Formats: sequence, C-alpha cells, structure tokens
Amino acid sequence: MFKILKSLSKSLGGGKAAEAPPPSKAKAGSLLDKVNKGAPAAAQVEPPKSAEELCGITPKMPKDEIKAQLKLLFRRYNRSASSLDAKLRGEADQMLDAIVEMREKHFGEI
Amino acid sequence: MAEYVGIDLGTTLSGLAYLKPDGNPEIVPNADGERLTHSVVFFDSHEDVKLVGSAARDGGEPDRTIFQIKRFMDDPEHLVEIDGKKWTPAEISALILSKLKRDCSKICGDITEVVITVPANFNELARKSTIAAAEMAGMKVKRLVNEPTAAAVYYTHSQGVKGRILVFDLGGGTLDTTILEVEGDNIKILTSEGARHLGGSNFDDILLEAYAEQYKKQTGAALYSDERHRRRVLQATEDAKKMLSKLQRVNDTVANDQNSGIARIDLSREHFEKLIRGMLTRTVFLVEQALDSAKLKTSDIDHVVLVGGSTRIPKVKSMLEKMFGKVPKSCGNVDECVALGAALFAKKSARIQEVCNASYGTLAMVYNAKTKEEKLMNSIVIPKNTPIPCSRTQVYQTSEDNERVIEVDITQGEDEDAKFVDVIGRLTLDVPPNRPKGCEVAVTFSYDENQRVRALVVDKQSGRSKEVAVTYKGAGVLSDEELKRRSHHLRAMRIE
Repeated sequence: MFKILKSLSKSLGGGKAAEAPPPSKAKAGSLLDKVNKGAPAAAQVEPPKSAEELCGITPKMPKDEIKAQLKLLFRRYNRSASSLDAKLRGEADQMLDAIVEMREKHFGEI
Repeated sequence: MAEYVGIDLGTTLSGLAYLKPDGNPEIVPNADGERLTHSVVFFDSHEDVKLVGSAARDGGEPDRTIFQIKRFMDDPEHLVEIDGKKWTPAEISALILSKLKRDCSKICGDITEVVITVPANFNELARKSTIAAAEMAGMKVKRLVNEPTAAAVYYTHSQGVKGRILVFDLGGGTLDTTILEVEGDNIKILTSEGARHLGGSNFDDILLEAYAEQYKKQTGAALYSDERHRRRVLQATEDAKKMLSKLQRVNDTVANDQNSGIARIDLSREHFEKLIRGMLTRTVFLVEQALDSAKLKTSDIDHVVLVGGSTRIPKVKSMLEKMFGKVPKSCGNVDECVALGAALFAKKSARIQEVCNASYGTLAMVYNAKTKEEKLMNSIVIPKNTPIPCSRTQVYQTSEDNERVIEVDITQGEDEDAKFVDVIGRLTLDVPPNRPKGCEVAVTFSYDENQRVRALVVDKQSGRSKEVAVTYKGAGVLSDEELKRRSHHLRAMRIE
C-alpha cells in the first residue's frame, strides 16, 4: 500500500490552489465546503425516520457492535457539533440526540 | 511585579491568580471585591465606559451587553457591532483581560507576562485569538495551557497525589476530559477530549424552556417577549439550578413583562436531572472516548477529579462514581482551581509534558495493491496524543505526470474519512516541469508548546521547499498592524 499526495481541489476536480480557508467554513459551494459538509448533507437528502436508522443500528446487531458504532458516531458528531456552520451544528446535535437515545435503549440510562 | 501569573479566561467567569513567595497560588480579587469576574461586557451609551463583570451582567441593556464571547473565539467572521463600531471576539476578551490586569495589579504588583488557560479542544484560531486578546490588554502570553491540565496541576500541588488522574472539567460553556499521570513533581498528559458546546449554560437553557412551558400552562401567555426579560428569567433559572445542587426541591415565582400574571414554578432535583440526562449521557461518551484514546479502562484510573461549576450537580458526581467505582474528588473550589493551576504552571511548565490535542495530516489517495482500490483518505502525520513539542514527516508521491504545483491540504482530526476532518489550511509548492508521476514529496508537521501547527513541504527531487504556519482570514481576524492599532486604542479606554 502506498500513499499518493492528493490535494482536495485535485481530488474533486478543482482548479488552482486557494488561500488557507477558515476552519470548517469555506465559501458556500466551494470544494472544501462539499467535503466538510459531506456526511450531514447526505443524511439530509434521505432523512431517516428513527434513531436506529440515523445511527445505522439494526435489530440483530450484537451489543458490542452497537457500542462500537455509537462510539464512532459520537466521535464524529461531537466534532461536527463545534462547527462554525450553524446548519451543520444543528444536524450534529440531532445526531447526538439519536446516539444518546440508542445508548439508553440498548445499555440503559446513566 | 507579579512574576508568575495565571488567568482563567472562562466562558462565564474569569479569574486571575499569582504565585506567592511561599510557592502557593492565590486568587486576586477584582476592584469590586469579587474573586471571580463575570465574563460579561457592557457598552454604556451615556458615558464612554465599558463595564466588565457583575455590574455588566446585572444592569445592562441586552443590545449592549456581550455574554459568552469565548464561544466565538474560533469564528473568523464573528463581529459585534455597537454604535457603529465592529468588535472582534479577541477585542471583547481583551476588555475582560484589561479589567483583570488593571484591578489585580493594584494588589499583586504589575502584570506583564501571563499563562492563560484555554479549553483542551480550542482550535488554532481560538488559541491565536486568545493570545491577541492578551496582547491588546498589554500582557505577553508566556504559554497557553489547557484548562484541565491547569486544574490537575493545582490538584496535585494541593493534594500531593500520584498515579493516573482523570480530570472532568464541566464549566459554563465547555466540557473537557483529560487523563494524566503524576509522579512526584512530574506530570505527563496522556490525552484530552472536549465538547465545545456542553456546559452549565446549556442546562440553564433547558431549565428556561421548562419555566416557559410551566408559565404558558398556568397563564396561557409567553414568559418573555424580549431579550431583556429572557435574560432576567435565565438568571432565575441559573439560581434555581444552583439551589437544586443543595436542595431536593425549589419553589419559584415568575412573571412576564406584559402583566399576564404570576406562575408558581415547582421544580424537583429529580425532574431537573431528567431534563439534563441527555446532556449528561454525552459527557459519559466523552469520558469513554478519552479512556479509549489513552487505551485505558476505568479501573486504570486512580483518581477522578472534578473541575468547573457544573460538577456541583449531584447527578454528575453519582454518574462518575457509578462509572469508576470510586468517589470523585473536588479540586478545591471548582471555580478557582483553573486559575490557581495556571499560576503554578507559569513556574512549573518545564516539568509538565503535554500532548497534541488533535491529529494533523493531509489528504492522500491511498492505493491498496491487493484490491487495486484507491480511496481518498485523511493521512495522519502527527497522531493525537503525541508528546509536544514534536515534528513528524511522511513521504508521499505525486499523482500525475508533469505536475507543476504540489498542493498539500492540512487536516485536523482523527477520522480516516475525509468528510469528518477539518481542512485548516493549504500549502502550495511550484515544482520543475516534465517530471513523471511518483516523485517523492516529504510533508513535515511541527507542533509547538502553545498547540500551534506549522507545515513544511519538501520536493525531494528538486530540493524546493515551503513552510507555513496556519493562518486565517476573515472579518474577525486582525492583521498584526491592526492588532497594534487597536491595542493602543484599548489601553486608553475607561474599563470598570
């Protein structure tokens, strides 16, 4: 396995290098924006209805897998919850609520 | 002159401590006789004066009163407009720091150099803004130190403990969890995890909603219709929250400003704990994340230390006791220990080993020879928890023939998936023409003791290189020249 240096603009077919953007807050519609907003935006296209669907928890999933999944999601969305983009922050907050709901359902209240 | 000074520039409260000749730190009260100063600024419309502290919090007009500016220190576009003048978060913070410097120097002597505390997960821009705020207030920042690290330094100093300590710092606006090892006078930070918008003010907001709901139920009217009245009720909910840390039940009466009648609020601790349970569950996730990050189990932790006003909530203590099987200890006065620890840190910093708070890397197309699959990934150069200061290099290959410009995106975050990391900068390097793909490029990241990152790219064939520190642009980011100009202006202001 080897690693090829691949800048974001090139990997997404973009043009010349830009100034360093502010963290998580590129100009609307820019390539950086697309990557930074990728996951929550995808969730918005087809909004899942339940916390299970949001968290990708299936009825037959073993407990340890559920735990690992919730930990991964918490790490990701806790980070997004600090975003400067209010929309992203709001979506992250919804995900964190769903993660908490799933934890309480499968592992009990704190 | 006070030689070792520490400042806790908090979301809701700020404090200054200095190291006494006997080696013990002490909080210095402000000119209003308060040990801690509310991080609130009021811009008076009649006199050219800026009020900082409880006077600003209690009496001001909402449109001219700035609360919790710390939450915006990482926003390059955030500006506060008062009377046509635009203030950056760093400038508002500078007013708070100026009040502390001016008031406290009357007691402990002139203050020129300080250690300032920041949340462990404060990003590059927020750290830079904090340093700029101190400079505008006329103080040089000797070091920035993470808040839980400062609290741990004070705890170990005052309690003389050793072993592995988990610091749970739940303040007004943020939660930080840090794990460290103490051996004698030496402290080694193992990891820090943080949640930026999880703190006491979130609990106040939840209580405010409960108050508004009860008011509506009893009177049929809205509890508040403007920001001034909302602030007043919010103050009442904060008081109720504090009482519920000591009492099982609180009775309160509230009214709106439209003469819609008075409502009686009956609130039990049990109900309050139920209201904030979701938030507290998030704190448990964060503790587990810290343990996972340090590859430790709950049984590996010798002491659990509580820091921050919100750890007075009984449920926080019982939740951690249940998790660790031991009673968590309060770090003295949970509101003051960060400032006290910062003063100690000013002297002892050489004996404290800190770590990188986030992973830094770049985006790379990773090719798997077996599966013949290519995937855009976050390629980490400096992993989180690497002891600092540090420098790491990773060698990559160019992807195209005749590539003229090498672009390196600087990422911050642990996730392999590029969607879940922040791109905090980009470095470009011109290289000679007519080269085949596969040329080697070395990317080096360096991380300094103030938790700021630099990147160096070296094209191995041509020897060309470029180095940059991450810089930000935005209406709220001041240039060096502007910083100097505003510092001069700020020092002439009347700040009470």
